Amino acid sequence: MKRSFALGAALLVAASLTGCAVGGGTGTSGGEISFLTFETPNLPPSYWDAAIKRVTDRNPGLTVKKLVAPSTDRTGYAKQLLQSGQFPDVAIAVDSAGFAESGNLYAWTPEELKDFQFPAANPIKGGHHQLPANTQTIPPIYYNKKLFADAGIASAPKTWGELLAASEKLKAKGITPFTIGGGKEGFPSAMLLDGLVSVEVYGKTPDWLSQRRADKVKFTDPAFQQAFGKFADLVAKGYVDKTQVSRDYSATETAFLNGEGAMYPMGNWFAASADAKKPSFDIGVFNFPSENGKLVVPAYTGGGIVVNAKSPNLDAARKFALAFQLDKEQIDASVKADGLFPAIKGYTPPSDAGPVFKAGYELYREAVAKNAVVNAFSWETADDGLLPGMKDKVYQAAQDVITGRKTVADVCAFLDAEWAKAR
Amino acid sequence: MRRKPILPRVWHFASFGAPGVLIYLCFVMAPILISFGYSLTNHNPFNPPSEFVGFENYKLLFQDEQFLTALWVTTILTVIVVVVPNVLGLGVALLLDRKGWLYNALRSVFFTPVILSSVVVSIIWTKLLDDRGPVNDFLRAIGVDHPPGWLSDPDLALYSVASIVCWQMLGFCVVVYLAGLQGVPAELLEAAEIDGAGPVRRFRAVTWPLLAPSLTINTVVLLISAFKTYDYVKVVTNGGPGSGTTATIAFNVLATGLDANHVGYASAMAVVMLVIVATLTTIVLRFLRLREVDL
Repeated sequence: MKRSFALGAALLVAASLTGCAVGGGTGTSGGEISFLTFETPNLPPSYWDAAIKRVTDRNPGLTVKKLVAPSTDRTGYAKQLLQSGQFPDVAIAVDSAGFAESGNLYAWTPEELKDFQFPAANPIKGGHHQLPANTQTIPPIYYNKKLFADAGIASAPKTWGELLAASEKLKAKGITPFTIGGGKEGFPSAMLLDGLVSVEVYGKTPDWLSQRRADKVKFTDPAFQQAFGKFADLVAKGYVDKTQVSRDYSATETAFLNGEGAMYPMGNWFAASADAKKPSFDIGVFNFPSENGKLVVPAYTGGGIVVNAKSPNLDAARKFALAFQLDKEQIDASVKADGLFPAIKGYTPPSDAGPVFKAGYELYREAVAKNAVVNAFSWETADDGLLPGMKDKVYQAAQDVITGRKTVADVCAFLDAEWAKAR
Repeated sequence: MRRKPILPRVWHFASFGAPGVLIYLCFVMAPILISFGYSLTNHNPFNPPSEFVGFENYKLLFQDEQFLTALWVTTILTVIVVVVPNVLGLGVALLLDRKGWLYNALRSVFFTPVILSSVVVSIIWTKLLDDRGPVNDFLRAIGVDHPPGWLSDPDLALYSVASIVCWQMLGFCVVVYLAGLQGVPAELLEAAEIDGAGPVRRFRAVTWPLLAPSLTINTVVLLISAFKTYDYVKVVTNGGPGSGTTATIAFNVLATGLDANHVGYASAMAVVMLVIVATLTTIVLRFLRLREVDL
């Protein structure tokens, strides 16, 4: 009895030590890999299960253990997994910053990236760690065609002046011009600011954030303050309702789809919801307008799969990642479910994609053709992105202006102070 | 007469105490010591190796406006959460200290929020307090044109969060006070009544002194709970609206450690929070223990 107890204890210790020694991986064996996903109303469990099955059916011997992030903050969850030695073999839509610099992510070779439209997207110290699988324009402005017609607005605004004029007409009719949100996610508060900085600042200085990283520019510089000032101007004119700051992302979307608010600045993923939920009015979309009407379209390319560089099944992980991202059926499914613009060479979206998606996609294709695409402020994730922890500070700065707690000069100084701390 | 050997007795008691001591050392003391160790470094899990920086993090902390704001926010929240459920809990307990099915049912009603997860409670209240939620819809229905932005108004949001915490903790205070009231000897109250003491005098002279242990328990539990408030803030406001309006120290610890990856700096915040909570708890315990009487 004693001997079997001792043997059991020894096996337990050995097993736990083996588990620890795996370090950085989940300890899967053979062709089994772990895959960290997330779930949203657009991407339910059935979406992921079907996608995984398609890849494993075509790759006999490959088995995938699906992990699901407990919230939409999959990057935070991935950090926890890394810290506890359970970093998955493969993860999708996890911000690669930090993970890449510390050597935890596999750097894709040019050969592996040959099928992607923008293989040079999101470099971190010269390496490309996240498959540049799709592009998102952030933010175009979706609008309620019925409310525009009610306010006598004939066409979608193309310049900043036209946007202000349209907002004034809507306000005069008792219609809230912009639908915004905030709540625990924060980012819906900053969508207008993201658009303004992208168009006004990046439109003139595309590498502005890289320069900020090199301390060549600051948030308190006139260029940035001017863009922030335009945002504050929208608030001061009453085009933004400060009580909406408490509304979470899902409630914000619902509010727009219910006809509360005429314009909704949001990432192009909103098109999937708009097409699926079919509100009682038609939805149009226009590019975020610049001062003089010059075409500048903010976008983010990336969001694809990252692979654990220390995975015990690195080959299987890489094989799965590429098969997942390049599978035509999977890409079509992502277009319909999440409104993504696949960044795969030669890809064309399915003909039965919804009208809101198609309208947004056309705007994006025009911007690509005219070489008018810039980074989307606060959405960058690589060497040209905000420092870790700074996204939340940007959301806070936007909310401080919306709620009237701070002036533009104050929030820009706040961002510089937080930037110094984030280093 | 042969004396019993001391060593086997020590071994006997140690075998009882060892598991508890071991668990305490592993899961309480070790994390505290590790946290203190981290606080003396610039540890960033994504940027190894970390360097020893001495007390530099602590120096920076007391010049950090965000941390000082969080300290102030936590203090306000703590004062509200210690006082309000205590006062209301006592009142409710006095009302419910009766026999009958109605009072039993009401006890369950008041206690139910305590057994709910704080995250569930936060989600429910976020929906209720939304600008388009039932609370403001009701206010609009009774003629309030511009109801308050409970979670979006920077001047109100902290009090809204504090109210949610108070709502959940009220049931706990009620149960502790009810238990205390059961322990007040009926003969003492009868004697006071025979001596001509009215209800207020009976409460002041007999009941209240005997409820001192309940007050001690409630105050200490509320103090510690309030100081480490994270979940309500994370779910309801995520520290906003804007910068520093509802961000507590515990919230800042996690945001700095997990989002910004500054584990060393966040650990220094956690250590300062631990020292403050330990000091306050010791002071409050000593003060309240003085009031306690033995029967």
